[in-house]
Amino acid sequence: MRALAVTERDLKRFIRNPFVIIASIFMPLMYLIIMGNSFQGELKHLPVLLVDQDKGPYARRVVELMQALEDGPRTLEITRENDQKKAVDMVRDGFYKAVIIIPPDFSRDVVKNVEPQVGLLLDNTDSISANSISGAVSRATAYLKTEYTAVRPDRSRPQLRALELYKKIDYDASLVPGIIVMAIFMGTTFTGAFSLVMDKFLGIHESYLSTPLTRFDIVAGTIMSGVLITTIMSIIVMVGGLLITGIKLAGGANTFILLLATMILTALGLLSMIFTVLGRADHPRIVGVLVGFLNVIFYFPSGAVYPIESLPGWLRTFATVNPEAYAVHAFKELILKGSGFVAVRGDLMFLACFTAFMLFLATLTFKRTM
Amino acid sequence: MAYAAEVKNIVKQFPSVRAVDDVSFSVNEGEIFGFLGPNGAGKTTLIRILTCLMKPTSGHANIRGTDVVKHPSLVRREIGVVSQALTSDLDLTAYENLNIYGKYFDMPKQERKKSIDYLLDKVDLKDRAKDLVATYSGGMRRRLEIARGLIHKPYILFLDEPTIGLDPQSRRVIWELLQKIREETKLTIFITTHYMDEADVLCDRIGIVDYGKIVALDSPSALKRSIGGFDIIEVTLGNAGPEAMEKLKAISFIKSITEKDESFRIYVEDAARSMPALFEEFKKMGVTTQYLAIHEQTLEDVFIHYTGKTIRETEAQKVSFLIGAGAPRQMPGGRIL
Repeated sequence: MRALAVTERDLKRFIRNPFVIIASIFMPLMYLIIMGNSFQGELKHLPVLLVDQDKGPYARRVVELMQALEDGPRTLEITRENDQKKAVDMVRDGFYKAVIIIPPDFSRDVVKNVEPQVGLLLDNTDSISANSISGAVSRATAYLKTEYTAVRPDRSRPQLRALELYKKIDYDASLVPGIIVMAIFMGTTFTGAFSLVMDKFLGIHESYLSTPLTRFDIVAGTIMSGVLITTIMSIIVMVGGLLITGIKLAGGANTFILLLATMILTALGLLSMIFTVLGRADHPRIVGVLVGFLNVIFYFPSGAVYPIESLPGWLRTFATVNPEAYAVHAFKELILKGSGFVAVRGDLMFLACFTAFMLFLATLTFKRTM
Repeated sequence: MAYAAEVKNIVKQFPSVRAVDDVSFSVNEGEIFGFLGPNGAGKTTLIRILTCLMKPTSGHANIRGTDVVKHPSLVRREIGVVSQALTSDLDLTAYENLNIYGKYFDMPKQERKKSIDYLLDKVDLKDRAKDLVATYSGGMRRRLEIARGLIHKPYILFLDEPTIGLDPQSRRVIWELLQKIREETKLTIFITTHYMDEADVLCDRIGIVDYGKIVALDSPSALKRSIGGFDIIEVTLGNAGPEAMEKLKAISFIKSITEKDESFRIYVEDAARSMPALFEEFKKMGVTTQYLAIHEQTLEDVFIHYTGKTIRETEAQKVSFLIGAGAPRQMPGGRIL
């Protein structure tokens, strides 16, 4: 009853300050739109200079192949340049990512079969672009003498036949479980313990500390309002994410209940953990620093952006106790695959135990006096 | 007679300051008891100990016989607290502020509603009950907080500097409110203040505190009498030679005297009776009176008499050198991070 009054007070204050909630819904969705569209497959539109000092028939063939890269997959954006020195300077000055140089004797060397060479000067400080350019250029030059494709393929060569178990998942869709966890994390940082820190900062806590509220009333009441706000926020973010990426939820009502359970348990776990960390803080500045720190150490090794299996050993070990890793796993199973209870049972178990442990710690460390 | 609150040998030691130093006193049922002292005298610390917000280093205190350290949850039901800072929720209406506090005290709905309506009327906020507290002035917030402190019908109400930062009009409204409540409910009120007029107007008894100790405790009028010379005659004399001071000091009915630029403050028991004799003396001395005024000793005179004129160092708030003013200030063992 008393704890519910704490919840009521907190909820009322949030409802009258909807800006924070709206911003916290908007941010993960923006993240989805920006991340989902910036890391899409192959790189494109890399600005490259082409210096043709040969101008012979095979040089023209190289230029054609490069232009094919520009017109087809749009990997390169080619600009012609005659002065080699000027071209190299322009790469050094950051206007272009690379210079392709066809030396004067190129066509003659091709005809004479004396190891013809195409020069490629790369800005290797941007290693991702450099790798892409060098790969694309070397694959293209390999076709220099290929004028036709074989009619009869070599039947003895083994072929790889990959079977995809699930509907094709685009990169942006694969980010949806991660942004739900992100929304939950954000929700838990500005509700829950943060409300108490602000009360302390403003000196308001003195008034309710002299009422019969117990430590548990205060901790549980504040966490409860946090769970409510966070869960509603994460449902909105999930629906937004599904609409943006065009995924349809497989599994129906059953999946939705499991999703809701995962959201609530994740929010509870994170809120209790943050309460343990911030229970004695009394300045919003501390919250800012700690929350930024916690976000990095929990979000990146959670499997939300990069598979946990490919992390170094010590980070994989950390992931076994990272609540966000379990949440991301559960959301991936439920949203992308439409799996049932069996697939997320372990995740829910971990999150429940984590919550119980952290709630215990939070109540234990919370100070009832001033 | 039962005491509303009893304090025995309470000590509160902070790492560098002894904020409350072996203080003992008792508050009678139904009286307004004031703690008057300069900033940093230990008033707030003492009120926090009595309202279970802080544990004393040693000593005992009880509210209506219940020990504040042993049974804080019982004490919290008996007390209403209006703390020094404005602590009402800005994002809530006055009604919601009171309603939620009623819930903190497990009050049933009907009782809550009755109590809220009564109190909002009492503090003159009935018309603004549905407005957010953010739209209130400081004085209105204070009145709301007094109502909030009374929501559960406490046995004793603690107010820590209730009129600090308010304009004279708002202060008077608060005084009248407290007097009215006391008359109607026979509530015991414990108030701290550093305003002399406030203590004088409101309190039945006043304890003057300084450096964590009670230096005087009595009714306002008794305190004024206690420092000798109830009335003060301020007089500027013409022709007064350097020997005037000595001559005046020799007069038997003058309790004490101070001088500044030929102006004298003469302390006497009763100004009306002393005046003719004083004029006789002036005549004998051959001085003329250029200015003369008589006024009653104020509590301020008492206060300065007991506490002196030096400004207090406040309770040393340790600040972390790592995170500034917002750090968990103390490590176990009193070290500051």
